Amino acid sequence: MLKTTVVGNYPKISSDKNASNLRNALNLKDQRKISPEKLEETFQATIKRVIQEQEDVGVDIITDGQIRWDDLVTPIAKNLNGVEIGGLTRFFDNNVYYRRPIVKSKVSFKNYSTVDQFEFAQAHATKPVKAVLPGPFTLAKLSLDQHYNSIDKLTLDLAEILNQEAKELEKAGAKFIQLDEPSLCYNPEKIELAMKAVEKAFDKINCKKILYFYFGSVKSLFPRILDTSIDVIGVDVVSKPENLNVIFNNDFKQELILGVLDARNTKIESEEELFGLFDKVTNKIRPEKIYISPSCGLEFLPHESAVKKLKGMVEAVKNFQREFLFE
Amino acid sequence: MLETTSVGSFPKPDYLIKARNQFAKGELSPEKLKELELQAIKEVIQMQEEVGIDILVHGEMERGDMTTYFAENWEGFAISSLVRSYGNRYYRKPVVVNPVKRPKPVTVEYYKYAQSLTKKPVKGMMTGPYTMCDWSFNEYYPNREALTLAFAEVIHQEAVDLEKAGARYIQIDEPAISTRPDELDLAIRAMKIVTNGLKAKTISHICYGDFSTIYPRILDLPVDILDLEFANSNFSNLDIFKKPKFTKMISIGVVDVHTHTIEDKETVKQNLKKALQVFDPEKVLVDPDCGLKTRTPEEAKAKLKVIVEAVKEVKQEFGLK
Repeated sequence: MLKTTVVGNYPKISSDKNASNLRNALNLKDQRKISPEKLEETFQATIKRVIQEQEDVGVDIITDGQIRWDDLVTPIAKNLNGVEIGGLTRFFDNNVYYRRPIVKSKVSFKNYSTVDQFEFAQAHATKPVKAVLPGPFTLAKLSLDQHYNSIDKLTLDLAEILNQEAKELEKAGAKFIQLDEPSLCYNPEKIELAMKAVEKAFDKINCKKILYFYFGSVKSLFPRILDTSIDVIGVDVVSKPENLNVIFNNDFKQELILGVLDARNTKIESEEELFGLFDKVTNKIRPEKIYISPSCGLEFLPHESAVKKLKGMVEAVKNFQREFLFE
Repeated sequence: MLETTSVGSFPKPDYLIKARNQFAKGELSPEKLKELELQAIKEVIQMQEEVGIDILVHGEMERGDMTTYFAENWEGFAISSLVRSYGNRYYRKPVVVNPVKRPKPVTVEYYKYAQSLTKKPVKGMMTGPYTMCDWSFNEYYPNREALTLAFAEVIHQEAVDLEKAGARYIQIDEPAISTRPDELDLAIRAMKIVTNGLKAKTISHICYGDFSTIYPRILDLPVDILDLEFANSNFSNLDIFKKPKFTKMISIGVVDVHTHTIEDKETVKQNLKKALQVFDPEKVLVDPDCGLKTRTPEEAKAKLKVIVEAVKEVKQEFGLK
């Protein structure tokens, strides 16, 4: 039976006027007009709401929405020795910007970045919460290296730190840990390095290990990425529709997260459209090995679109199972 | 030669922010809001005159955001809710739901007002077709190309009207252009439609991207002046433009618009001098990296002041007028 999941982030603010308003709270923080307790309360209320919304819609494996994250890399980067946080840089081809970590000296572990966040989210969820981290190669690639002069060395050092984080997440109860590696799509020549680093980041991890690729083409990454200890491979088939052919042309022993819902455009996918895709994929891969998800994090969408899309996705999956898989 | 200018937006004064909020809640009339917008434009023109800027901007006091503003004034859009662009910054991302049309000029009246206040040239300011496409949700057109070219037509109409109203400089910002190097040809085709037949000097501001991926192809963008950021990366991107030689005029961003600290004059001078080894001084203009709207009015003014002072001294050292 098909399952559903999300990729990572989720809109932080809702158009519902009664909902917790993190944007206001953070504005007040800038003006030093809110107590740390009140701000923390707003964060927690927002995370609980985001979890509730995903569970209400019926998503099987949820995330905490990365509500405390400004972007994919700084939450980790700011907890590393040897790294400073730099200026705004465009996040891939989006009108979204991240603060670029600047590597000043050898990187080493300072603090856990996401373990508390995971524990809080899981404690307030009935569904499993997936822990999501930037992959070591992407984390290195999105940083400005002023020390190593070697993407290889930086990536492998970061992998070791991510491994420490992942181990602690597993200890805290994570059943799914995902590494996002969008940068590898744009630098497929670095696949050996990236896979070595991913294996290192997942060393001695026993829960489900997920590797997710969004925005770019995965064509040159296959079949190499199938030859790993990764349990689940996730692919955005919206940004690059040809990624779907790549999936069809390879034999999966892993499970697959199929990112089919355009998480970067508000246009709602029709059920026919989705059924067509589900049909193709389930003919090739056993349904119980497939998770259906949006193409990437949902924070590129306004809140009401994100919810509408998720609802449509879960309903389409349910209807498809009933009509075509007789479940 | 080394004329000073600004990229476009200035911070809105508190009374205007308040008025815009009241207007949004229906507590203030459009006439009253406009009155305050014009007041803010007047203040920003005076400020630039006082600091000694050569080519002025009206500060975009009537605009909430560089794409949403046009979406609100053209036909074919639904306005979406807020999406986050970075940190705690959100914008209302337009949604194209019908064919894009321009029922009447959008920017001309504000341009005319600003120009009536000064003898110095004021730039006509627009957002480019590629960026309008890239920063909108598209629920109507079959693909990005169709949407971008549809935008190009209406922006061209606006540019022609600005020129008729007397604009000597028309800026068509394309901050999104470095996003997808594989779509640069589309952006160039669209700009060709926009600037077709214009006699005014045309400028395009591009930011937040890896220029190395679009250089030298970006020199084919049919505008006279490219406006690029340099301070944000501490001029490390200067090397990109050494080879092949930069053939257009260039407006060089010499102060960072996302820091509260005011750059010191010596640093700006040093950086500018470094840039003048790469670019022909005769073809250089100097400005901040990007719009100053996220700074406080005081910071914005202080940053412009540093630019004017640094340029003055560099000109003296180089024996330039």
